[in-house]
Amino acid sequence: MADRPLIVLAGADERDLTRLEEYRAIGGYESLARARTMEPQGIIDELLASNLRGRGGAFFSTGRKASFIPKDSPKPTYLVVNADESEPGTFKDREIMDRVPHRLIEGCLITAHAIRSQHVFIYIRGEYLEEFEVVRAALEETRAADLLDGVTVVLHRGAGAYICGEETGLLESLEGKRGQPRSKPPFPAIQGLYAAPTLINNVETMATVPKIIELGGAEYAKIGTPDSTGTRLFCLSGNVERAGNYELPHGTTIREVIYDLGGGIPDGRELKAIIPGGSSMPVLTPDQIDTPLDHDALRALDTFLGAAAIIVIDDQACMVQLGLRVAQFYMHESCGKCTPCREGTRWMVQLLHKIEDGRAVQGELDLLLDVCDRILGKCLCPLGDAAAMPVASYVDKFRDDFQAHIDHGGCPFGGESSLEGLLAPVEQHVHHPTVELPS
Amino acid sequence: MTNPENAAHFRDEVRAVAAQYPDRHSAVLPALRIAQHAHGGWLPREAFEEVADALELTPAYCRSVASFYDMFHLAAVGRHMVEVCTNICCGLRGAQSVLEAFEAELGVRAGETTDDGEVTLRTVECLGGCAWPTVVALDERFRLSVQAGDVPGIVAELGNG
Amino acid sequence: MSAAGDLVSVTVDGRAVDVPKGTGMVETAMQAGVEIPVFCYEPRLGPAVGACRMCLVEVDGMPKLQAGCTLTAQDGMVVRTAQTSELAADGQNATLEFILVNHPLDCPVCDKGGECPLQDLTFRYGPGSTRMTFPKRTFDKPIPISPLIALDRERCILCYRCTRFSEGVAEDGQLVAVNRGAQSMIATFEDEPYSGRFSGNVIELCPVGALTSTQYRFQARPWEIQNVPTICGMCPVGCNVTATTREGKVKRILSRNHPEIDAGWLCDKGRFAFSHLGARDRVTAPLRRVRRRGLEEVSWDVALDEAEAMLRRAGNRIVTALSGSETVEQAYGLAKLLRQGLGAHTAVLPEETRAALDAFTLPLSAIGAAELIIILGEDPVEERAPIVDLWIRLARRNGAQIEHDVPAAPVDADRVVLIWSGDDPGGGQTLARVAHELGLAGREGSGAFYLPRTANGRGVADGWSAAADEDASNPEPIGLLVVSGDEAAADPGVRSLAERADAVLAITMFQGLAVGWADLVLPGTGYLERDGTYVNLEGRPQRLRRAVIPPVPDELAWLARLAERFGVELSPHPSLLWQELSGTAYDGLEYGQVGERAALPPRPAAEAIPVPPPDPAALEPPPSPAVPDQLALLRYRPLFSGPAVERVPELQFQRPQKEIGLSPGDAAARGIRTGDPVSVRSNGTALALRASVSRRLRPGVARIAEEHAAELGTSVEVTSSNQIASEASDLA
Ligand SMILES: Cc1cc2nc3c(=O)[nH]c(=O)nc-3n(C[C@H](O)[C@H](O)[C@H](O)COP(=O)(O)O)c2cc1C
Ligand code: SF4
Ligand code: FES
Repeated sequence: MADRPLIVLAGADERDLTRLEEYRAIGGYESLARARTMEPQGIIDELLASNLRGRGGAFFSTGRKASFIPKDSPKPTYLVVNADESEPGTFKDREIMDRVPHRLIEGCLITAHAIRSQHVFIYIRGEYLEEFEVVRAALEETRAADLLDGVTVVLHRGAGAYICGEETGLLESLEGKRGQPRSKPPFPAIQGLYAAPTLINNVETMATVPKIIELGGAEYAKIGTPDSTGTRLFCLSGNVERAGNYELPHGTTIREVIYDLGGGIPDGRELKAIIPGGSSMPVLTPDQIDTPLDHDALRALDTFLGAAAIIVIDDQACMVQLGLRVAQFYMHESCGKCTPCREGTRWMVQLLHKIEDGRAVQGELDLLLDVCDRILGKCLCPLGDAAAMPVASYVDKFRDDFQAHIDHGGCPFGGESSLEGLLAPVEQHVHHPTVELPS
Repeated sequence: MTNPENAAHFRDEVRAVAAQYPDRHSAVLPALRIAQHAHGGWLPREAFEEVADALELTPAYCRSVASFYDMFHLAAVGRHMVEVCTNICCGLRGAQSVLEAFEAELGVRAGETTDDGEVTLRTVECLGGCAWPTVVALDERFRLSVQAGDVPGIVAELGNG
Repeated sequence: MSAAGDLVSVTVDGRAVDVPKGTGMVETAMQAGVEIPVFCYEPRLGPAVGACRMCLVEVDGMPKLQAGCTLTAQDGMVVRTAQTSELAADGQNATLEFILVNHPLDCPVCDKGGECPLQDLTFRYGPGSTRMTFPKRTFDKPIPISPLIALDRERCILCYRCTRFSEGVAEDGQLVAVNRGAQSMIATFEDEPYSGRFSGNVIELCPVGALTSTQYRFQARPWEIQNVPTICGMCPVGCNVTATTREGKVKRILSRNHPEIDAGWLCDKGRFAFSHLGARDRVTAPLRRVRRRGLEEVSWDVALDEAEAMLRRAGNRIVTALSGSETVEQAYGLAKLLRQGLGAHTAVLPEETRAALDAFTLPLSAIGAAELIIILGEDPVEERAPIVDLWIRLARRNGAQIEHDVPAAPVDADRVVLIWSGDDPGGGQTLARVAHELGLAGREGSGAFYLPRTANGRGVADGWSAAADEDASNPEPIGLLVVSGDEAAADPGVRSLAERADAVLAITMFQGLAVGWADLVLPGTGYLERDGTYVNLEGRPQRLRRAVIPPVPDELAWLARLAERFGVELSPHPSLLWQELSGTAYDGLEYGQVGERAALPPRPAAEAIPVPPPDPAALEPPPSPAVPDQLALLRYRPLFSGPAVERVPELQFQRPQKEIGLSPGDAAARGIRTGDPVSVRSNGTALALRASVSRRLRPGVARIAEEHAAELGTSVEVTSSNQIASEASDLA
C-alpha cells in the first residue's frame, strides 16, 4: 500500500485547493493551457491512450464517447457534467466538488475543447447545496481570471430525483421537464440536450482529465490494471471503522480497502456481505474479499464496480430488511415511465414486506425471484435492473435469512437487526394529496 | 406574492435565470425553487401560476414537473425542515434511532409538522454522506455523524434560529 | 417516396420484407403480416417513447429484448416477435402481468369493454391468472376532468398517450402526469377542467377505459351498436367521422382518420355537439304562426298547402337565405323548385366562392409539410377551422416558418401555404391573387386555403347555381323570405332582411330559432340525419351518410312533393339529384365515386383558370382605430357557439370566456396582464372583461367574441381595472 498515487485528490491534503491561487500553485490550469494549444483530436487521442473509463457507473471509454460527437454539427455541441450522485453508498463526487472544484472545472474546459463545445452544464444534485456554493465560488474565480475563454459554464441544480443521474433523465430534467429517461437511440452524442450533440460525463471522470493531459495518456494507463486504468475514489461506508473516500489504483483488493485502510469491522462483529459498487449491485460474500477492485474481476463474479461504493455489512444486519429497504428506494425513485419498473418495484416491496413480516408462504419467495426476473432486461433504462439485481442476489446468496422468515414466521434477529424498522421515505412522501400509499 | 411589485420582481428574477439557457424551459426547476422560497417553503397554487406566467408555460405543466421532485413541497411545511437519511448506509449505523430521537424531541411523526408550524420532520433517501452516518439535513445544510444524543441540542438550535 | 435504393431487407418471424430504411418496426412487421402489439406507441403523437414495453421483441445480435416500437428497419435485421421467440413471448407476458397487477379488472362495467386493446392483448399475450395477492392501488374514481370526460385512474396504464397529445399535438399543456413512479397519475391543474378545442381526442387515444366520454358513459355495449361512416358537418374541414348509434340514436362520434384531412383528430364541437339532435326545442312537426297564439303545429298537408300558397303569392319576389349546412343536393333541390318553378333566383349565399382558388388546391395535410405558412385574415384559425390549427402546429414543430403578412420579397421556400382566415368578400379571390403573385401556381406542395365560415358553403353555392343560369333580380319589397337552415335562421343579417319581407318561411331544427318572425316553419334535419354530399374547404366532395333516421321527413322528401305542385320534377334521392348537377358543377363525378375516404379532385391545369385581376382594394389595410389610443375592435365567431352548441349542456364550459384579446405591446402600454380585469368602452357602453394577452394579435386591435362584444362600436378604449397596475401605468 505504499504506492498510493493521487490523481483526482492530488494536493488536496496539503492545500486548500478550493482557492484558485492554491490550485495554480500546484500547476493547476496548466493542462488547460496546454490542451488549448492542441488540436481537439489530440486530446481525444490522449484520452483513448489513457483508457480512461467513465466513473459514473457504466465504465464506458471516455475517449470513445467523446469521439462519437460529430465534428461538423450545424447545432451547438454541449458538455454536460453529471453531478447528480445519488446512488446509496456513493459520496465521491461530493468530495471532489468540495475539495478540488478547480480540477473539475479544468477538466470540463479541456473536454469542452476536445469536442469543440462552448457550453458546459454541470447538473448538481439539489441536496448538494454547499457543494454547489463551492463550485460556484470556484467558477467565479475562474471567470475573473479569464480562464473560460468564451466557454459558458452553467451550474444547474437538481431537485431531488435519483433518476436524474441516468444520463437521458438528466437531459430531460435539464430541459425543465420531469426527469424521465428517453429511449435510445438516438444517443445523446447525436441528439442530446435540446436535440443537439451532447457529451455527458461524471464529475470524477472530468476531474481525472487534467492529470491525463499532464502525465500523458500512456503514462496514466500504467496506473491500475490494464483494463481498469488509473485510480478511483472508493467510497467506503457501512459497518467499518474508518469510513470515507479513498483514492486508490484499480486492482486494490476489497480486503485492503476494508481492513488495511478502513480498519475492519467495528465492535468485534463479523463481516457478512459486501456491496461492491453502490446499492444497485449484486452482493458479495466474505469469501470473495480478496477480489481486486477492477471491472473484469467483478464481472467474473457477476457483479459490477459501478460507482465504486463499497458498503460493508456485518452480521447484525438482516438481509431481508436490507432487500426491503433497497427495493423501497428504487420504488420511490422509479420515474414511472415504463411498466415493469413502475409496477414491478412496487410489487417487490409488497412481497418483501410480507416476507419480512413473517406472513409469506414459500411460493411467495419464488414469486419474488420471478418478479425480479421479469423486470430484468425489460425496462426502458437500467433503474429496474438496479432494483431487481441486488434483491435477487440477496435471496440467492443469503437464502437462509429469507427461509428463516418463512419457516419461523418472523425475523430471526428478533428485533435486534441493525436495519430493524427503518422508515423509508416512500412510506411517507405524498406528492399529491389523493395518492394512496402502499400498505 | 399578490403584490404586483413582488410579482414583477419574481418575473425579472426568473427571466434572468432563464437567460442563462438556450431554451427558457430549462429554467423551470430554478424558477420553482425561487417560487418555493418566496412562498414559505412550499408551492401553493399561485406559485405555479407565477412560474407559468414567467416562463410562458401552463400551471399544469409546472405542477407536473414539481411533483416529480422530492425537494418541491406541494403542501405547507414548517419554517424549518429536518430531513433524516434513512437509506441503508445510515440505516446500518443507527439512523432509525436518530429519527426516533427527533420524533420524540419534536413530538411529531416523520412526515409531520409541529403544531406551532416551526419544524417539519421527514425521512429522505441517501444524501451522499454515507461515511458519516447519520446524515441529517437542516434547512438543506448537512449535519454529519449525527447520533441520537445530539438531537436535543439540534432541536434547541432550531428553536433559536 | 424513397428510391428503390433506400430499401432494406428485414426478417420478421422468418418472413422477409423490403421496406424503406428507417421504417418503424411496428409498420415493418405489419408489412410482413406480423402484429407487434402496442399500447403507448402512436406515431401521430411524435417519436416513439418506449414506455409500456408491450412491444418487446428479440433482435438477433442484441442481448436484451428491445422495444419494437422504438426500432427502425436496418438492413439485415432479424426480428422475432412473440410468435416465434419464447423470450419475446415471456417479455410480453411479463408486461401484461405488470400492467394488470394494479388494474381493477372491472371490465363488466367499463365502457371500453369489448373494444379495449388491453382486453384484446391480454387475451392473446397475457397471463391466464393473477399472482397478485396484495391490495391494488386505489384512487377516487371516476373523477370528471371536465364536463365531457371522466378519468378513472385505477384503470390507467400510464401509457402517456393522453398527456403526449395535450403537450405535443394540441399543445394546450393542460393534461399532465403528476407524481413519480408507482404514484404517478394523470391530472389537470388543481380542479380546473380540461378545456380546449381538442380535449375529446384523449378519449379515443386511451387504450383502456381510463378516459371515457361522459356522454357515452353506460350508454351502450359494443355489440349493440352500429357504426356509420360519415362526415362532420360542424365546420368547413369536413373531418371523417363514425357515428355510433344504438336504437336509432346517435351515442357518440368517433374519428375515422382521413390522413389528408384530419389525421384522426376531431375538435370537441364535432365530437360532442351531436346531442343537439335531441334538443328540447327540436321542431318535429310543421308549425304555423297564429295571431296572438304564436306557433302551432299543423299537419303536413296543411303545411304544404300553406307553403304552396306563400310561394305562389310571392312568385319571383322570393329571396332565399341559405345556411351553408345544406347538402349540395338539398341546395340544388331547393334551387330547382324556386328557380325553375318560380323564377326566384335571388339567394343570400353563406359564402362567395371563386374558381380562381382551384389553381391552388392542396390536401390539408400539405400544411403539415410546409416550409412557410402565411396566415392572413383577422379571425383565429382555430375558431373557424380547428383542425387547420393542428396542421399549423405540426408544421411549426417540423420547423416551418409562420408569418402573418405577405412577404415583400419573393419567397425562396419550396413549400409555401397561404391561409386566409377571415371574411373575404371576394370569396378567396384576393387570396388567389396573392398566391399568383407569390408564384405558387403549379408549385408542388404549395397552395392556398380560404377558410369559409360554414361547413358546406361552397357546395351550397355550387348546388344553387347548378339549377339555373339566370341572374338574381333583388326584389324590393321581398314577397317571401325563405330561410333555409339554422345558421341562416340565427344570422342577424337574415333577420333584418325579414323586416323587409311580407312573409317568412323558415326551415329549421329548433323552435327557438323560428319563434317571433317565421310565418311557417318546416322542420329541418341535421347532418347526421342526411344522405348527400358536402364539399369541404379543400374543395373535396365528401359523402354524408344518414346515421339515424330523423324524427321528421327530410327536406328532400317534402321539397319533392312541393315541387310537383309547380310542375318541377324533383327526385327525393340525393344520388339522382347529384347526377343532374354533377355535370355542371363537378366535372361529371359519379355519386358512387365519392367513397368513404374521398379523394381530392385534381388541380385543374393552371392555364384553365383565369388569373384574378389585381385588386389593390381587396388587401385592405388592417382595421385601425379611429381615435388615437383606442383599439380597433375585431369580433369573431367562436368555435363553441351557434345553434347546435347552445343546445348541448356539457359543452357550455367550453364557450368563450368574457375576454378581450390584446397584443403584448398594447397590453404593456396599459399595464395590463393576462387575467387582469379591464374596462372596455365605446359608444357610451362600458363592459367589464378579462384581458388575455396574445402574441398572435397585431398592435392596435382588440378581439372579443361576438357574443360578448354586445353593443360595442368598432373602436374601443381599454383600461385596466386593476388599481395598482393602472396607477403604475399612469406614472409611466
Ligand atoms: C439509474 C441510474 C442512475 C445513475 N446515476 C448516476 C449518477 O448519479 N452520476 C453519474 O455520474 N452517473 C450516473 N449514472 C450513469 C449515467 O447514466 C452515465 O452513464 C454517466 O453519467 C456517464 O458518465 P461517465 O461516462 O463519465 O461515467 C446513472 C445511471 C443510471 C441508470
Ligand atoms: S389515461 Fe389512458 S391514455 Fe392517459 S396514460 Fe392512462 S391509459 Fe394512457
Ligand atoms: S408500444 Fe413499445 S413500449 Fe409501448
